Amino acid sequence: MTEAYIRAEHITKQYDKEPVLKDLNAVLQKGEILGFLGPSGAGKTTTIKILTGQLKPTSGDAYLLGIHVKNMDETIYEQIGIVTDQSGVYERLSVYENLKYFARILRVDAGEIDGLLQRVGLLEHKKKAAGKLSKGQMQRLVLARAVLHKPRILFLDEPTSGLDPSTALEIHRMLTELKNEGMAIFLTTHNMEEAAKLCDHVALLNDGQIVEYGTPKELCLRYNRDKRYRVLLESGEELVLAQTQENVDRLSELMKSNQVAALHSCEPTLESVFLTVTGRKLQ
Amino acid sequence: MKTIHMHKLSAVMEMKLKTIFSKNFIIMPLFSIGFTFIMKLVYGAVTEGGINDVLCGLALSYGALMNITGTGIYCVSAALAEEKEKHTLRVLMTSSVNGLEFFLGSLIPFVGMMLAVNVVAALVVGLSMTGVQWAAYLGVSLLAAVTCAVVGMIFGIFSKNQVTASTVTTPAMLVLMMVPMFGNLNKTMETISGFLFTGVLQQTVVNISQRKDQLVNGLSIAVIAVEIVAAVACFLVIYRRNGYDSQ
Repeated sequence: MTEAYIRAEHITKQYDKEPVLKDLNAVLQKGEILGFLGPSGAGKTTTIKILTGQLKPTSGDAYLLGIHVKNMDETIYEQIGIVTDQSGVYERLSVYENLKYFARILRVDAGEIDGLLQRVGLLEHKKKAAGKLSKGQMQRLVLARAVLHKPRILFLDEPTSGLDPSTALEIHRMLTELKNEGMAIFLTTHNMEEAAKLCDHVALLNDGQIVEYGTPKELCLRYNRDKRYRVLLESGEELVLAQTQENVDRLSELMKSNQVAALHSCEPTLESVFLTVTGRKLQ
Repeated sequence: MKTIHMHKLSAVMEMKLKTIFSKNFIIMPLFSIGFTFIMKLVYGAVTEGGINDVLCGLALSYGALMNITGTGIYCVSAALAEEKEKHTLRVLMTSSVNGLEFFLGSLIPFVGMMLAVNVVAALVVGLSMTGVQWAAYLGVSLLAAVTCAVVGMIFGIFSKNQVTASTVTTPAMLVLMMVPMFGNLNKTMETISGFLFTGVLQQTVVNISQRKDQLVNGLSIAVIAVEIVAAVACFLVIYRRNGYDSQ
């Protein structure tokens, strides 16, 4: 079996004896997107900081590309990219100069910058001062900077938080492309639609603890206890039917008489799974 | 010992040079040159027969002190604080730049700027110097600049933004600048000044202007050596405990 890109084993973190992370385990393989889904304060950012060696865990072990976080030095950052909620761009410099600076540091050919800017839709803004970019443009610049050196792992902390839907969609498209190119992506979000759409596996994080883990589909099916169906009739009436023999017969009758306009299963969303498991809403 | 990668060091240095030439920072070196020029004019205006070498030396020493303390302490700390304020420091540190590369990349441009300004200030006052005198002036300026820059980095560690940097560095700047400046007016200040690296710089300039044979004595060398070592040691202790961010 190949070495996992990220392996976290029994990670705990305490601040002033206050537990922030409790017995956290996670694995991320090449070409996968792992989503950490939880409300603000659940420990998502702390997890990223520990996995990227910016913060020491109180106990437990974490490995990044096979290297224990305690043994990591700065060279590990040549293989990972990080997008945080704080842009960290040089506002006085242009979009191009920002990327050129990091290209020099990470030994990337400056000739590749234009292609990257084209890919994130910022080529026409390359001479614009970074401080004058809109929030969506800024986030695309931050993403471009994070993938400039083609890292093996990309960490994203709430990458689409506060962005308009079209920019969020653009970022989703890019992340899917990067995943297909073999990049492993560790994503934290409180947007369940984003997690359901992008992630191969999700971990539901509540009060520093993983309360559920699996593929989005697995989790939704695991909590599909009522097994109900929403039936839209040609008359415009809407029925919600639980899976009982009586309802199966009724549905069969409705279909035979051509009265059914649409039929949907009512499995829970990740948000309702989270609510069921924790009693809390994500937002 | 951390490895220094030249491509990273040069990139950080280039960025810091851009910072120095930005409007928030360039004011300090320009002000030092302007102050030297004004002091030269003032001394020239109040002295019969025009300004002499001794007064030129005084004007130069004031400008050099202002430059070394202002650029060295305020600008260096504010530049570090700005990197934290804008979150670019964290991005740099997670882009494979190590602490030593950042330290040197931050210090070298500022030290270079301080030396350049001291040279310009000397040319502005028009104090003629022999090769040995230039060597002594630049040598002491270099050591004082390095010491001040390290002190500036220490203040920068404790400053979360540029406003804080400005506030916390002002008392240190005033002490290091004013004590030597007013050393000739008060015996106690003169004594204290002899134990400050900025006082050594001022005395060296005065010695040059008075055409003394011995420009720097053993005590001055010892003072500047001890203070530069103390500043670096202090920085290392604080850096190991806090990194570049004490918050």
